[in-house]
Amino acid sequence: MTNTYIRNAIWAPTGETCDVKIGPGLSSRFDSLGGLTTCDAEVHPAGVLTIPSEAHCTDATGKIVMPALFDLHAKVEVPGRSKRESVSRTGQAAVQGGVWGMLVMPTRGFMFDNYATLDSFHDAVAQRSAAEMIPAGTISMGTEGRQQAPYNTLAARGVSILTDGDNVPDNLLMLHRAMKYAAELNLTFAIRGDVPMLSANTYMHPGTTSYALGLHGTPACAEEIGIEILLRLARDAGARLHIQTVSTARGVESIRRAKAEGQSVTAEVALHHLLYTHENVGDYDTTFKVVPPLREQSDCDALLAGIKDGTIDCIVTDHTPCTPFDKKQDFVSAPQGATALDTFLPALYTHLVKPGKLSWAELVRACCTAPLTIANPRDDESDEAAGIPLLLFDPEPEFEVTADSLVCGTLNNPQIGTTLCGQVSLPL
Amino acid sequence: MKPRKDLLTIGSLSTEDINTILDSATAMKDIFTKSVKKVPALKGKSVLTLFYEPSTRTRSSFEVAAHRLSADVTTFTVSTSSVVKGESVHDTIDTLMSMKMDYIIVRHKHSGIPAVIARHCKAAVINAGDGAHAHPSQAFLDAFTIREKYGTVAGKRVVIIGDILHSRVARSTSCILRRLGAEVAYMGPGPLVPLQQHSGIPRFTNWDQIFDWKPDVIYLLRVQNERMDTPFFPAGDYHQAFGVTEERLARIDDLNLSIMHPGPVNRGVEICDAAMDYRNTLINDQVENGIAARMSILYHLTPQTQQHD
Repeated sequence: MTNTYIRNAIWAPTGETCDVKIGPGLSSRFDSLGGLTTCDAEVHPAGVLTIPSEAHCTDATGKIVMPALFDLHAKVEVPGRSKRESVSRTGQAAVQGGVWGMLVMPTRGFMFDNYATLDSFHDAVAQRSAAEMIPAGTISMGTEGRQQAPYNTLAARGVSILTDGDNVPDNLLMLHRAMKYAAELNLTFAIRGDVPMLSANTYMHPGTTSYALGLHGTPACAEEIGIEILLRLARDAGARLHIQTVSTARGVESIRRAKAEGQSVTAEVALHHLLYTHENVGDYDTTFKVVPPLREQSDCDALLAGIKDGTIDCIVTDHTPCTPFDKKQDFVSAPQGATALDTFLPALYTHLVKPGKLSWAELVRACCTAPLTIANPRDDESDEAAGIPLLLFDPEPEFEVTADSLVCGTLNNPQIGTTLCGQVSLPL
Repeated sequence: MKPRKDLLTIGSLSTEDINTILDSATAMKDIFTKSVKKVPALKGKSVLTLFYEPSTRTRSSFEVAAHRLSADVTTFTVSTSSVVKGESVHDTIDTLMSMKMDYIIVRHKHSGIPAVIARHCKAAVINAGDGAHAHPSQAFLDAFTIREKYGTVAGKRVVIIGDILHSRVARSTSCILRRLGAEVAYMGPGPLVPLQQHSGIPRFTNWDQIFDWKPDVIYLLRVQNERMDTPFFPAGDYHQAFGVTEERLARIDDLNLSIMHPGPVNRGVEICDAAMDYRNTLINDQVENGIAARMSILYHLTPQTQQHD
């Protein structure tokens, strides 16, 4: 098979102009990608490659070449659809949004607390998914927070991250023991900061909007205290900790302090927590009902600052499909969650990179290299990790996000009705 | 007043709309003195009361109001168990639409439910209380009662005392009174008076501050224990700290202040027995005016079901 070429694209991790040689088995290794390699493509500084005159070569002036994104927090299960269709649709949605792989949270239909579910999930992914899907094992059986899941069994099936998904274990003794046990298996605990007693029966951030709507608010201190508890438990147990979907400025501060003290902790923020505030709930718009809730602009700013200085390692989708029927219910009854995979890279570009809030290099770090490193912690450099596919991103085309343009099969994407910039070609 | 289909919040109305409804309520109340307390304004129209929460006053008040306008009233009994079992409000809406109701009066413990029903239904929807969100008909009867007592709402000072956090009455009544030019203040136990309240509403912490403020109306709220899964304040403190005690009643009497309460009243908690019989206690006026206000609200709404007449 002959190779194809792309000329004069911008290599997102460095901003330099590059030429790309595309073909099976090709790869380049980049320190700027944390030592990760590209898959089926070589990236060279512009002008270095000798491009055969007969080769198919595309001029990509003004376009971006970058490693495809990896999402560290997605739910695959689409309520009301079969598991196989859920896998298929979510994979398509991911590819549409520039995402080639994701860490899949346990949900009711994909309860990764046993090898049989993991095996059948791996089979479904192999047969149906256009994107890589790595399951996160559960911390507790059924994510119910009582009995630890069989970590050895899960680790033997390739699990490297444990999480109870939307549930936060409130039995700290169980969690402490789980951390001590699993630390020896080189597993990472991915948990959201929360004190369930403080956040029970609450529906949004407490503020002017919640008061006007008569909805009980989730105090920010529930997350802040929760993060402190997790940090101290993990430090005591010697466990590696990943804090999920940070939403508060003080939460960022706690993580910053823990990192400065040398603790083995990473953290993520969901894209919606960077883009929206509690005021977006408006008149009970259930699309903006998420957990943790959307907070103040000052929190959005602190989260973005956390991304830029590396306190927050990753931006994730927290992709949570909900049926249109469920989201049409009243705000209290409607399930939490928003989808984001379909529009991930265009939304990141339109809202963060284009206005100058985030550089391409920061985006690559937060949405590709950091999440990959967290999902695949490698103990030795010789480990042959699979390469990252590259994508081509044309920032020029604008498109209106409509229900029809989404493939994930649900309509709870806050971008619906907005205009985004950028066209993703994945894989190259 | 422009034709409008629903009444969900006070905030959705213009001041002109509010005054129109209050003016009509005065005319409606005149009917009560006639030997035949009925007018044919809604003859042939069907009114449904759909209460997902227990209610005595509001429901019967709406039913009497609808009867006095000659409407046909149906009571839809929603068993709380079916809600617990996950019954969707959308399924109920489908049922109601099949019944071709013209007016639906709805109460629900979840904020925002009447708006969901109104969006998907041609009937005129009246919010009879949704969670801690809004209770616009209560706001109208409160404003009407104050206007009737003092001749105007503008310039009056009303202090609302009690469980502000859970109170849809506090939200809607403070909204209508401020729109009509009154000043409103809040007092209650700290955890029950959220800091995120609407700006411009002073918050007092004791009765001395209230008396110093020189209010015209003391508006008491019920402590809604049914909405408190975990206690918000020491159970034994409320009456002494925030209630109208006999000593405070004497001061209220000296100052010739009025007392209002949306009911039902917890005697010995927010109000002492003697205050119920106090000459300026307007609680029974509120009940009577509630019928007039609700007649006026029904009269001024235009269901989409009528557009094809």
